[in-house]
Amino acid sequence: MNAMRRTAFALLAVLYVAVPAALGSNNYLMGLVVSSLIVAGVAVAWALLGNLGGMVSFGHAAFFGVGGYASALLTMKLGIPVLLAIPLAGLVAVLFSVAMLPALRLSGPYFALAILAYAQIFRILATEMEFLTHGSGGISQIPVLPTIAGFDLSSRTGQFLLLLTLLAAFLAAYDAIRRSHYGIALRAMHDSEDATRVVGVNSVLLKSWMLFVSAFMTGVIGAVNAHVINFLEPDYAFSGIWSVLPIVAAIFGGYRTVTGPAIGAVVIYLVDQLVFKALVSTGHQIILGSVLALMILFAPDGLLPLLRNALRRMRGASHA
Amino acid sequence: MSELVLQALYSGLLVGGVYALIALGLALTFGTMRVINLAHGELVLLAAYMAYMVESRLQLNPVFAVPLAVLVACTCSALVYLLVDRIRKNRELNSLMLTFAIGIVITNAVLLIFSGDVRSTGSPFMQDAVQLGPLFSMKSELGAFIISLVLVFALWQWLSRSWYGRAVRAVSSNRDAAKLMGINPARTELISFIVAGALAACAGVALYSSSVVHPALGHALTVKAFIITVLAGVGSVPGVLAAALLLGVTEAMTVTLWSSALQELVGMTLFLVVLLVLPNGLFGTARRRG
Repeated sequence: MNAMRRTAFALLAVLYVAVPAALGSNNYLMGLVVSSLIVAGVAVAWALLGNLGGMVSFGHAAFFGVGGYASALLTMKLGIPVLLAIPLAGLVAVLFSVAMLPALRLSGPYFALAILAYAQIFRILATEMEFLTHGSGGISQIPVLPTIAGFDLSSRTGQFLLLLTLLAAFLAAYDAIRRSHYGIALRAMHDSEDATRVVGVNSVLLKSWMLFVSAFMTGVIGAVNAHVINFLEPDYAFSGIWSVLPIVAAIFGGYRTVTGPAIGAVVIYLVDQLVFKALVSTGHQIILGSVLALMILFAPDGLLPLLRNALRRMRGASHA
Repeated sequence: MSELVLQALYSGLLVGGVYALIALGLALTFGTMRVINLAHGELVLLAAYMAYMVESRLQLNPVFAVPLAVLVACTCSALVYLLVDRIRKNRELNSLMLTFAIGIVITNAVLLIFSGDVRSTGSPFMQDAVQLGPLFSMKSELGAFIISLVLVFALWQWLSRSWYGRAVRAVSSNRDAAKLMGINPARTELISFIVAGALAACAGVALYSSSVVHPALGHALTVKAFIITVLAGVGSVPGVLAAALLLGVTEAMTVTLWSSALQELVGMTLFLVVLLVLPNGLFGTARRRG
């Protein structure tokens, strides 16, 4: 395990230096990488709820939109500094997720679609509450990320480093939760929720915590995104794409693994933007849909476990 | 004002009839296979675009598209069944994501082939006004409502009287016991998917004739059908009809008395309230979802 952690740190260090060095001069490619990290953040949050909490959500756009709007309004109306507003936006997303707690009683598909309903309701509210959100006209000129100690976070490289740091922190938190005794209880709940309750685990409380953590992460990413693109409108901030892309990414990478969703998001997003979009411009989501369907049918555990198994088999062959 | 309210009530009822048709297909497959077909609204969408194709290419009344629409929707529905049936692991959630993915594929295929423009029938026959006392509607709206009622009644009779209908109900209440009674569950499930496809086809043609269609509609219809299924509770055809009419009327009233932007909000709120407060729906037999 230690070796794996060391590799992870080494890989992270390489990413910090190598990506800006290689792509830093290409604003377009760097922009795509930044967007892919945003999707990766939501994918990790989605997978945390799906894997540890056992709840599939079709409405993570709800938290993403709330986070974005909260941060935009906190900075613009109350003058709170951007870097403080971003975690606060995460907390606002948690606050909104409290409204979803009754849905935790619902099982599988009912929960998934109840969350979808919440996302729709939030989108309509954001459109209708014009005094706060400017309605469908949207909010423009959202402040950019600040300059810290002479380093400009609003540059593409700065955005990249901030998002990579956030993503690494999310993954570390995810891993820590999974290893803790809460993680063990959550995994036991997967096999039998009733049996886990019988041995004294408060399953509803644990699930609520997972919902809160997932909402916080998604809200923070939504907030960063708002400061990266500097514009929000309800149909964009609460767009179904923020619910769909993370699902495709997490399933593609393997949503039962910690790093799979993040890697899947970067791969899927970049391939989608660079290849699929060039092939079919208007309906390129058709390929995303096909990928999701094929993954569920042929490799429901994702590509990462598949690759790992293949690697193990190859190693086994060389030992023999 | 009271005239406006009456008119809204009437228009809402007419739309509710078509909603019932869509929701029944979803409820049927959910009943037999315990799988929520999230591509069901997209089947309706496909059928609606078949009607558009027949009208625009062959210059025929959209009604003549029914055979083609039934063929296409039933084939796709059967395909959805065959794909879902391949899932072995964690079927409840994986089938949800698989049908969700199929829905995305269908929506974008429609977008690629027919473009994102809003389409509606150009047939003057369909758009003629019909007056019922003080109430107005298009001929097609009233026609769609009547045909929907007839089909809902036919499905109800089929489920309660025919051998296959009983087989569907048997599989839905206890798969293993049904197997012991000599029913082939796989075939029964396939039949329920094909019947659901046929209902979706009729709903699609009715929707195209009486309203407007665009590619993103499929997802919205799936959500509406699911809302109705939840409102109705599992296992009652008249319940689905009542819930569909209720949703149609509530939406129409919201548009008339409040604002058209809030139409969806009311449906969603109704859905959440029923889901969280009345876990068995308004008309369902006792069954836990927890």
